[in-house]
Amino acid sequence: MSAQKDCEFLVKRARELVSDDPCAAKAWLITARTLYPTDFNIQYEMYIIERNAERTASAGRLLYDMFINFPDQPIVWREISVITAALRSDSQDKHAQFLRALFETLPGRVQCEMLLKATEQCFNTLEKAEMLLLLLKRFPESVVQHGVNLGETLLEAEISENVDSPVNCFRKLFVCDVLPLVINNMDMRLPASLMQKYILKAAEFYVGYVTRGPSADVQIQSSQDGVTLKSPGVSRGSQRFVIDGLSEKSSVVAEPWERLLDILTVIGARCEWQGDKGQRSYIDMLQRVKELCRYLPGLEGETRSRYCSQVVICAALVLFRSAFLYVSAVQPSLFQGVGAMTSGPWILVEDLSWVYSDVEMDRAMLKHAHKKRKLADGREKTMSSDDEEGLGKGRSRHILVNKTEMPNWLETLESFRTARESWDLLHSHDGLEAEFKKICAAWKTESWLWFRIFLTDMIIYQGHYRKALSSLHQMAAVQQPQPAQQSPTGQASLEHHRALIQQASCHYALGEYRMACEKLLDVVSGLVPPNQELTKATEDQSRIKSKTRKGNDLRLLPCTSRAVLPFCLQLMLACFKLRAFTDSRDDLSLGHVVVLLQHDWPQGEMLFLKAVDKICQQGSFQYENFFNYVTNIDMLEEFAYLRTPEGGRIQLELLPNQGMLIKNPSPALGVELNTLLLQGVQTMDRHHTVTRGITKGVKEDFRLAMERQVSRCGENLFSVLHRFCINEKIIIIQSLP
Amino acid sequence: MGDIRQSLLPRDVLSAAKELLYHLDIYICNMVQSGRQPPQVDSKTLDLIEEFILHTPKDRNAPVRRMSALQELQLLEIMCSCFQEQSRDTVRQLMFSALFNLQGNQADESRMALLSKLVSMAVAVGRVPILECAATWLQRTHRVYCVRLAQVLVDDYCSMVPGSGPTLRNIHSASPRFCCQFITAVTTLYDLTSDELTPPLELLQMIVSWIQDDPRLVLINFLNSPLSGSQPISSLDITPLGGLIRWCIKAPLAYRRDKKQAGTNGSSDGEPDAPHLFSALHLSVLQVFMLLPNILNEKGLFGRLALLQMESVASLTSDLSRLLDQTDKHTLAATTDTHGASQLALDRLAQALQVAMASGALLCSREDLRAICSRLPHNNLLQLVLSGPVMYYNNIHTPPLAYSPHAAHSPMPAHATLPTLPTHTPHTPLTSHPASHTQYPTQPFITGMPFPFRPGH
Repeated sequence: MSAQKDCEFLVKRARELVSDDPCAAKAWLITARTLYPTDFNIQYEMYIIERNAERTASAGRLLYDMFINFPDQPIVWREISVITAALRSDSQDKHAQFLRALFETLPGRVQCEMLLKATEQCFNTLEKAEMLLLLLKRFPESVVQHGVNLGETLLEAEISENVDSPVNCFRKLFVCDVLPLVINNMDMRLPASLMQKYILKAAEFYVGYVTRGPSADVQIQSSQDGVTLKSPGVSRGSQRFVIDGLSEKSSVVAEPWERLLDILTVIGARCEWQGDKGQRSYIDMLQRVKELCRYLPGLEGETRSRYCSQVVICAALVLFRSAFLYVSAVQPSLFQGVGAMTSGPWILVEDLSWVYSDVEMDRAMLKHAHKKRKLADGREKTMSSDDEEGLGKGRSRHILVNKTEMPNWLETLESFRTARESWDLLHSHDGLEAEFKKICAAWKTESWLWFRIFLTDMIIYQGHYRKALSSLHQMAAVQQPQPAQQSPTGQASLEHHRALIQQASCHYALGEYRMACEKLLDVVSGLVPPNQELTKATEDQSRIKSKTRKGNDLRLLPCTSRAVLPFCLQLMLACFKLRAFTDSRDDLSLGHVVVLLQHDWPQGEMLFLKAVDKICQQGSFQYENFFNYVTNIDMLEEFAYLRTPEGGRIQLELLPNQGMLIKNPSPALGVELNTLLLQGVQTMDRHHTVTRGITKGVKEDFRLAMERQVSRCGENLFSVLHRFCINEKIIIIQSLP
Repeated sequence: MGDIRQSLLPRDVLSAAKELLYHLDIYICNMVQSGRQPPQVDSKTLDLIEEFILHTPKDRNAPVRRMSALQELQLLEIMCSCFQEQSRDTVRQLMFSALFNLQGNQADESRMALLSKLVSMAVAVGRVPILECAATWLQRTHRVYCVRLAQVLVDDYCSMVPGSGPTLRNIHSASPRFCCQFITAVTTLYDLTSDELTPPLELLQMIVSWIQDDPRLVLINFLNSPLSGSQPISSLDITPLGGLIRWCIKAPLAYRRDKKQAGTNGSSDGEPDAPHLFSALHLSVLQVFMLLPNILNEKGLFGRLALLQMESVASLTSDLSRLLDQTDKHTLAATTDTHGASQLALDRLAQALQVAMASGALLCSREDLRAICSRLPHNNLLQLVLSGPVMYYNNIHTPPLAYSPHAAHSPMPAHATLPTLPTHTPHTPLTSHPASHTQYPTQPFITGMPFPFRPGH
């Protein structure tokens, strides 16, 4: 009886028809609309039919009509919010794509109005910002009016929502979307201070983004999987990173360093920074600010502060980028999505490949070093600074690295150098340092583990070992191995031993051998001895080249059992070498040296002969562990010879529990050992004259021990030496000052 | 030009025709250049055409010259290229008129035969100039002949050679004007009164797809013709709208009969079947109506030019009423099927009337409509349309205080401004209709009881 009833009747008929004959349904609605042109439901029904059939053009036209004619209908707004949600989302599903296409059919003016009104109706800061951003992206002229406000709203939201990381949804939107629109809009006047604030906000975000750690939830997942996930590389490779509040896709920031450089370029141009307009690369940038620094002392006032901020901002960004590149090569597991464990962690340590060289040479070298250190120690008391004049300070030190194991060694070392240079530049003037410290404080760089790793390595490079040690202690505390991360290969725990190894290296460099060995032996106990054969080949090439260099070089050591154990052995050898060859008699040290010289045989042949000389001079030698740990056939032969009259009848006390062997001579055992010996000799396919002399009436127990020892020649030397490190740990440490 | 007859006589039929065409071309060119008004070909020339091209004997004694089928084909080719090469529209148009305008004499039969072959050929090889000339011809010629030409094309392309449909389909892009006239002609031809006069499905599909692709196609001749409105009497309608409406409204009844015959081969191959095609066509027609208000306003014709004639609507309703009667008689027990078909026909009629009226294509009052629809059986929508919208509509969401059946038809809201399209001009009959509505004599008596025109909600 009423118009409303008419309309309801017409819409109802259309609804009944739509599934079987959509054309008929539409014909009804067209008729209905000519009868009741201002009825909303009729037009909405028309729109729904077109929308459900995903016909963009006609649905867009009807939406436009509704938007114009029924601006107050809540249903229209619900529809518009669905569409704007689709615009904001990155969903690729068909319906979302349709809704986006539908929006595109609307005239620009209507789009603009729709987005603005939709924004007004939004209460969630993030959604509101995303909506406004849609507007700004489509209608550049609106940037002038809304751009800075939107930026500030986002930055405020970070504070009001108590977001603790700079990598958050608000900052992401600000840095990646709003900021480029604002700074590239030349109709806007932006004060330099604001732009400096913005570039720092952007830099903090990008640095935080690049250096983000592997996400926590995935780790929980992998620990739940437990034993099945053998390879950490696999689980890390599939990690996903999502910024809270954003979708996975919009959490991805492509080429962050390049984007940062883009922003820096624009802001630099707008702040009228010195130098050419197009920033080509970070390296160029460093060169330019270096030059700029030279003029700094002559400048005053506003110009000076402008120069200062340019230098600090540019140098700081180069520093963080290069340090990141370095650490991502040295400790890739710290970061999400970096190289996924293709090469494990690397440790910057003292190079010890010279350790087999003549004692006299390194004694001279070390004397010099110790003298210097003594001087430094003296000053320490007064100046509260440790080895200021430390090794290598002031001149560049060589860093050795196995190039086949680290294919990107050149870039890594370059990054390390660039980072150090930037650091030095930032600390070359008080003004710069103060500015830089402000940035560090604001960004809380103190808490960045990765940056601490770089700083520690830099300090080590500079030779400030004492400082490095304190830094390492802090780090070791942070890096306590967690039970969940233990993996069967020992890889994870090795990573955590990284700090210990570096500490040992520092102690060694400081001449604190006992501490050095203590730290090292802690590490060794956690290692699995590698196969002997594998190590040989890889170690060789780097040694040849480094033979002539000595004492002052550093080495990037892969953090694997295969590399760490040899390093430990070298370091122990270096510790004992000097003690063993002093004028006073120290059989224990000499014995340790002999044991350690077996590694990498015959590299240490010269030193071994020197040891033999010393034993001959002494006329006797006591080392009860000899038969436990010496399996080198050449050495055994030499010691066997020493007892003979031709060898000088040297008094050798090499047997542990000597008395026991004498008291209970067991013929049966002797026979057994004999056959073993024969077999051993046969399998070695190498005829040694081990038994010469012994058979001529020497003591039976020594002969037997020798024979038994020969049979052990085929044993994995690393296992033997590893056992040596573990079993004799206390003796070794105690025998060092 | 009459003096060339002597030179044509000795020639063989083909070269004589060729020669004449050549002279005709020159003659018309000169005529156009000299600016003679009106540019009309003289009767002597027309005689020559009848004698040497159409081969109508000049008198009983003259020998009957006939062309072989091959010669005729050659002549058609020559004519095709002749029109193709002539770059001036006026010349081309005059030449086409000289050749094919009906003269009301015995030559007209062969004229029609030759024209049909020429147009069919032009469709086949896509000769746009000829199609354009033919479109004009279709606008000026008596509808009986237009229908004959259409018939030939439908026979050639839809009936005789299966699979040649796509060729005809192309006329839509080749010459929209011709295509539009063609649609008008076939809707006039197939009036759905018998099986023979039911359009082939292929043709129907073609027309539906043309209009769906481009609804303005239907209006193209209307858009291009001058405002004078001097349509020759008995020529085709300027748009096919009337014919298309007739098709859509009568189809549910006609095709029901058709379906009984066709049996199973209706829509077996996945092609849309006739009911759906007509439904789509009906929607397209309504959409074309919705285009009209803007166009009419631009031309300043809103309310002044009826694209749909009241007489043709009246004849349609009486046709429909007769058809419905017949249907009822044939099926004594009115099954739901027949009832559905009847209601569909009536729904469509109501929709077409309402939309045509609202868009200014049909100029009449609702009272006029009530008169011509009086004999039709009951249909809810038709009743709604015939009574018109409830006038206080504007306040639908906030009903007036006196929201009661009594208030619903009080004269006051009925005088509210008719909220139709914003482009309304005040002098349309539509705006005057509320007044006539209130004058409806029985109305005061039915307030307070169910309004008979309203659907029973």
